[in-house]
Amino acid sequence: MRKHKSEPSSSVPIRAIRGSLFLFSLLAPIAGAFPVNEKKAPASLGDIKAIQDALLAVIPKAQAATVNIDLGDGSGSGVIVSEDGLVMTAAHVSTGVGKEVTVDMPDGTKLKAVTLGLDSETDAALIQIIEKLPDGKPYPFVEINKADDTKLGDWVFSLGHSGGFTKERGVVSRIGRLVRVANTTLQTDGALIGGDSGGPLFDMDGRLIGIHSRVGPQIPVNMHVPVKVFTDNWERMLKSVFIGEGPFAEKPEKGKGFLGLATKSAEGGIEVTKVGKKSPAEEAGIKEGDLLRTLNGEKLDSREKLQSILAELAAGDKLALEITRDGKEETVKLKLGKR
Amino acid sequence: MAKKKRSNLSSASVSLALVVALAHPATAQQSLETNFRTTGAAVTAVFEPQRQVIQLSSAVIYDGRKEIAYGTIISADGYLLTKASEVEGVGKIDVCVDKESFKNAKVVMTDPRWDVALLKIDATDLTPVVFAPDSKLPRGTWVVVNGVTSRTNRRVMAGIISADAREILPEGGAVLGVTLKETKKGLSVEEVSKDSGAEKAGMKKGDILTAIAGKPFKEIAALGKLLAEMKSGTDVKVTLLRDGKKTELDVKLSARGDLFREVSRNDQMSGDFSNRRSGFPRIIQHDVLGASITMGGPVLDLEGRAVGMNIARANRAETYAIPVEELRELAEGMVKQVTVTATQ
Repeated sequence: MRKHKSEPSSSVPIRAIRGSLFLFSLLAPIAGAFPVNEKKAPASLGDIKAIQDALLAVIPKAQAATVNIDLGDGSGSGVIVSEDGLVMTAAHVSTGVGKEVTVDMPDGTKLKAVTLGLDSETDAALIQIIEKLPDGKPYPFVEINKADDTKLGDWVFSLGHSGGFTKERGVVSRIGRLVRVANTTLQTDGALIGGDSGGPLFDMDGRLIGIHSRVGPQIPVNMHVPVKVFTDNWERMLKSVFIGEGPFAEKPEKGKGFLGLATKSAEGGIEVTKVGKKSPAEEAGIKEGDLLRTLNGEKLDSREKLQSILAELAAGDKLALEITRDGKEETVKLKLGKR
Repeated sequence: MAKKKRSNLSSASVSLALVVALAHPATAQQSLETNFRTTGAAVTAVFEPQRQVIQLSSAVIYDGRKEIAYGTIISADGYLLTKASEVEGVGKIDVCVDKESFKNAKVVMTDPRWDVALLKIDATDLTPVVFAPDSKLPRGTWVVVNGVTSRTNRRVMAGIISADAREILPEGGAVLGVTLKETKKGLSVEEVSKDSGAEKAGMKKGDILTAIAGKPFKEIAALGKLLAEMKSGTDVKVTLLRDGKKTELDVKLSARGDLFREVSRNDQMSGDFSNRRSGFPRIIQHDVLGASITMGGPVLDLEGRAVGMNIARANRAETYAIPVEELRELAEGMVKQVTVTATQ
């Protein structure tokens, strides 16, 4: 039997989030059990219609909050869970902490966002949208099923931007049942594909119960991270902590960033003697003969100084270099590559 | 646009990681019996009224003993529609409707734009599908389609409408299906691609292409520009020099993505998808899991009316169907054209 709780579960420590993010209102109504879920299988077309009625009622709101996450070299999905733009997604979509990404709203509006914390062991991550909607309205968002009362056999639906964002197609919806339940994984038989990663799994009340993570070799094998994994790590993820050393995200290592140039000491800074082919330096337009004066505000008075700054940075970190080229001063911005 | 989609699809870095489920055995794991899963017998049993429609108004199409597609019955006197590219080139097509077998079905007409073939079998009292008034169905609406079948019994699978109705552009644009080389004599055919329109039209290595649809060209880039204006699935007149003699061939243009398939990571995880899955004027999309041979059958609503016809299994999560508005037009138009020709 489905446990029906009249109070939010005490195992959900999500109240201590920033003031304005107080969306998990304790007063939020907890919907009653969806009747068809009490049956092993739908007994009549009436039950089937009840599923359809539930879907038609909740999909529009769920759809409006299901976003595409554009990382430049690929895309995943996510779902907005607060009116001020907090997004739940998969760790293998956000891939790191403090990264700038673009969120595509279903209508094609592009918004800047930054990745917060993640759990690399279970594939959970948070992203914060940092740009307002053009009309200034609150972001559309969905309610999280805090009661954590989903059970094996429950009817569920998946949304996501399968294969990437297509405005004409919109969010792709799929129906399924919860066919396997484990501590850190929910399995459903609604098919997912690349691009759905990080997208939302909902119960028949339109409450978020999981985030798409991975698929098995057979089509009906599709895995999701239960919301409890998120709520258990909520505060740390909000504080942009990189949790664990799991397979879903690689922790950036200090000193492993790659710039790709050789230098020699010169007056007023260090001079570029060689630029590596296809290196981040070359892609940013740095040329042989450029005089590098400062890096992230620090004076480059020796080659050792450059090395000591780089030793504290990791792949993906951003650099701002003040340079002099042909007597003109310029600022070059780039991201460190992976060594 | 189609191009953009491809690059997204192949972006392995952030697409769903294809992790084998069994790699992390979970503790206290519970599992739902197959019978009660979405495609399980206990669930599909409830769709018995729709199954009866599928039993009478859909067809199973065979090449010998091999099932190759399903069909949609559109007239009592033996006309049915199916996915053209699945039946093309099959020497002897057999069809099964309900419990009855019909030998030597004829492909009487095809519509390359929609990839639809009109088949005729020798029957008199079939039960055609009843068309739904329209296909304006929101996400979450149930649809029921052909599932696994035997010689006597049809089964069904159910799913929901997944996305907005829309056009699916040809993947990668229209191509002839040849590799060309710029030579002193002109654009010379180096290689003719297998199963391409060029091969079917009889184009040969060494042919010198000079014009397409009457428009002359000298460089590969110029031909590319002309092709960019054309649609895959349409016939085009190609002018060429063979052994110095001017010849004209009617070539059916293919979608680049259908002909030269670069298998993306998403394709690798998609099982058996349709060979032709792009270049449709308008489709509705649902999530019923099925192999490429399940295309061609009707897509029913809960009233048992056809809201469309399955036309392409695009990938593991997306299936396209021709919407009933266009399906009805195709059915009536094709039958009319065939019967008018027959009475003349």
